[in-house]
Amino acid sequence: MNIVGKRKIWFMISILLVLPGTIALFVWGLKPGIDFTGGQELEVSGQTTQSQLHDIVAKVGVKDITVTTSGNDRLLVRYSDQGLDKELGDSQQIRQNIRTLLTQQSLTETSFSSVGPAVSRDVTRSAILGVAMASLAILLYIAFAFRNTPPPVSPWSFGATAIIALLHDALFVLGIFAILGHFFGVQVDALFVTAILTVIGFSVHDTIVVYDRIRENLRRLNKPFEEIVNISINETLARSLNTSITVIIVLLAFYLFGGESIKYFILALLIGIISGTYSSIFNASPLLVVYNNWKIKKAKAVK
Amino acid sequence: MKLTTKLYLIATLLVVLVLLAIPREDKIFSALGIKDTSLKLRLGLDLQGGASLTYQADLSKVSTQDKAKAIDGVINVINKRVNSTGTSEVVVQTSGSDRVNVQLPGVNDVDQAIGLIGKTAQLQFLSVSPEGIPAATDVNGEDLESATADIDTQNGQPIVSFQMKGSATQKFADLTKNINRQGGRLLIILDNEPLFNGTVSSPITDGKGQMSGFKDLKVAKETSLLLNAGALPVPISLVEQRTVGATLGQESIQRSLFAGLIGLVAVLVFMIAYYRLAGLVAAAALVMYTLITIDIFKLSGITQSPIVLTLAGIAGFILSIGMAVDANILIFERMKEEIRAGSSVAVGMDAGFKRAWTSIRDSNISTLITCLILYISGIPVIKGFAVTLAIGVLVSMFTAITISKTFMQAVVRTKIGSKPSSYRIKEETIQ
Repeated sequence: MNIVGKRKIWFMISILLVLPGTIALFVWGLKPGIDFTGGQELEVSGQTTQSQLHDIVAKVGVKDITVTTSGNDRLLVRYSDQGLDKELGDSQQIRQNIRTLLTQQSLTETSFSSVGPAVSRDVTRSAILGVAMASLAILLYIAFAFRNTPPPVSPWSFGATAIIALLHDALFVLGIFAILGHFFGVQVDALFVTAILTVIGFSVHDTIVVYDRIRENLRRLNKPFEEIVNISINETLARSLNTSITVIIVLLAFYLFGGESIKYFILALLIGIISGTYSSIFNASPLLVVYNNWKIKKAKAVK
Repeated sequence: MKLTTKLYLIATLLVVLVLLAIPREDKIFSALGIKDTSLKLRLGLDLQGGASLTYQADLSKVSTQDKAKAIDGVINVINKRVNSTGTSEVVVQTSGSDRVNVQLPGVNDVDQAIGLIGKTAQLQFLSVSPEGIPAATDVNGEDLESATADIDTQNGQPIVSFQMKGSATQKFADLTKNINRQGGRLLIILDNEPLFNGTVSSPITDGKGQMSGFKDLKVAKETSLLLNAGALPVPISLVEQRTVGATLGQESIQRSLFAGLIGLVAVLVFMIAYYRLAGLVAAAALVMYTLITIDIFKLSGITQSPIVLTLAGIAGFILSIGMAVDANILIFERMKEEIRAGSSVAVGMDAGFKRAWTSIRDSNISTLITCLILYISGIPVIKGFAVTLAIGVLVSMFTAITISKTFMQAVVRTKIGSKPSSYRIKEETIQ
């Protein structure tokens, strides 16, 4: 299969897939959950509807109430307990009041979370720092791991193109969740950050396998770089697809049968891993060729 | 090492792994004469139900060198308060530099626990003059030896009686003598709530006292508990709370186990269907991998830092199954290539392992780097995921290069195992 030769088509597909989500990300942004904003969240089970539950919680006087379904006839209520009048009492008091109202309607609280502003600030900072540090560490590691690559490619071009592929996958997942957040109120939490970082890790894992083969073939075969890259992609194609299939099988089992509380986490992983498989085959390695051609052209222009 | 020796070693390992991994392994151990093994999977609160409370300590009035001491003091006092309620396995630990996390498994009344933990419990003894002017004294909560709640046999009212420390008995006697002579009153305050406010009929020389006027016995018991545990060295405030009902936890673990099992079986089927004999080897290695990982989780329970399995942790474990299979896939694909290029099955297998190793190593190291950074992030839910994923990756590398390889070496010696068709390699594709 001539993958490298048709690279413009693959890049086009990527742009078409990533662009809508990226626009959504910039226009609407993600819906941050209480891990990032602070506030309270409780899961309720019993005979009620979303609007009924909204009204019950509204009676207490809290702000920013959102009610979403949580499968199994359960509902999730989130609200902000910050910046309220003193008369409402503290967070603990608010919770008590809501609980009393729920009991009156014979509803039960199955789980409860409350995150204070200091904690949510810390989580947000750690999350941003984590993603930035992971990307940097991966770039350095790849440059190090591929330091002995024979010419024409420099070790840094491996790192740089792997990072582009990784950003592609992260953007794709973030974009989908921006869209899901806007239309279905899906919020992102600390676990979502884990999903993004895992997708990044997997994407690089996948890309490295192809790069590894490119390096090996550069030593073994005496052919143009473009051809070597194409041969390497084809040789590792079965492995890339099979590994992704097994991971997707496991994730799918979890998405269908696993608990509700990790459903969106699994969804983020699923989307990311599919994207990661695509980008390592169709983006990362063809990009190496693009980069290399560009460098040759530049070198000629200088002469 | 000879191949048969290796196979025997793996068989022995398998027996040990199974023994450790089965849920009621303690029964078997005690039958073998090994008593009191505390091997068990530690489940997080999201799986067994319970409450996780994080408190922020106010260290603004503490000098830098005393900060660690103040946090230790807070942990110590909280431990005394929660452990006296009879709740089993309460974990109180630091979280960052100025926060304390309390893990209460299976607590029914979280609010009571919150009320109990958050109180500063500053006990003050004040001397009130006949004119009604209170004055501070040198007697305080630190002078208290013990307190007990009881029902007054005469009027059926709940009371709390206390005993002063030997060293403070004289101090307390002097105080009560003074109040008695002046005709004033003794005021005992716990966090701005008066516990006792009355005259002293005669000086108390034995260091014993009694307070009444509690709403019910429960309140009296709580008070005596707070008095016994002592005051918090610094004020604390609840900044994070996560409560999961026991039913929800149960449901999560059951559904996760079911999903994990389905996923695992589906992967095994896929591997065998695609790689035939090699897939069977991968399946065996994957079973070994699962057993080793479960055993590591269980064995960590007897160390200083047990691995607590959370929902996110299970996800990490599941994902590492994918990584474990990947190592095998890398090897088998390589092996197929070598056989297609004209090698015999045995030679192709050897080359497959050798050539695939750099890919396995490089790709897994990048995953381990991600795990390390996730762990450093310090967000608890993320840490749980990172730990299990990292363990999974390390174990999968081990099983791929030892167990899979040994099995493959044994398989290629058999008659079926030496035929390329046993690995779904068509004769006509071989050069």
